Amino acid sequence: MRTRILVCLSGACAAFTLAALPAFGHHGWAGQGSEQFELSGTVHTPVSLAGPHATMKIQDADGQVWDITLAPPPRTSGAGLNENVLPVGAAVTVSGHRNSDPNRLEIKTERVTYNGQNYDVYANRL
Amino acid sequence: MEDFLAWLGASALGDAMRGAGVWTYGVLNLAHILGVSTLFGSVLILDLRLIGLWRRAALGAVAAPTVPLAAAGFVLAAASGLCMLTTNATEYAGNPFLLIKFPAIALGLANVAVLHRLPAWAARDARGPSARERRQLAVAGGASLACWLTAIAAGRMIGYW
Repeated sequence: MRTRILVCLSGACAAFTLAALPAFGHHGWAGQGSEQFELSGTVHTPVSLAGPHATMKIQDADGQVWDITLAPPPRTSGAGLNENVLPVGAAVTVSGHRNSDPNRLEIKTERVTYNGQNYDVYANRL
Repeated sequence: MEDFLAWLGASALGDAMRGAGVWTYGVLNLAHILGVSTLFGSVLILDLRLIGLWRRAALGAVAAPTVPLAAAGFVLAAASGLCMLTTNATEYAGNPFLLIKFPAIALGLANVAVLHRLPAWAARDARGPSARERRQLAVAGGASLACWLTAIAAGRMIGYW
């Protein structure tokens, strides 16, 4: 009896987990487009190393503001991209993968280029 | 909701969390996982006992270690969770999983209050429950599992929205 209850409970948990798995992608790259995406603009909101991922915002030539998702804070900082490196208004180019939802202006970013310097926050993916 | 999150993010706690170094979020996350696992591990054992498994072990004997551990786990999870929320509070506006998670936690706590008012719970060290009381305890145990599983599942999904 109690074994049967335990088996049923574990079965229900496993089924729930499997059913939920394919639907989610963030924290990985599954929610992003597979082709490389590059964008130039000016820094709108400087780098934040708060976490879970470091972030910044840049404004493109059309005035649209993009969410730039960087690596986790220790890794972004380790690539040299600290909070004081990019001043507001600085001209930067980011390279990475755009969110696969075309309505979301978000780029999961591997490289930020500023003043001839590359900040490779996901060096292993470049 | 958005106003509250904006206030939370702008609070002194939020400033402190954002300024405390690049490993802060990771350490908070670690504390949150330890808190949640301590809470859920404890309530899982107690709730399954309330539902009717392992009757050979007296309810009082099962409750003695699991209740204080669950409470400690809850306090750790709540404190670290609040810190994580303030770090990026406005990011969570419109996240539907928050609206599932927090009511589930409130229901879980309400269920604790109800369980602690049951005569069979109060007398758990003195006597066994009657058949009717056994059903009450089982319902409380089942409700507890449902609440905490929902809170944990919704909480995990917040970051994937």
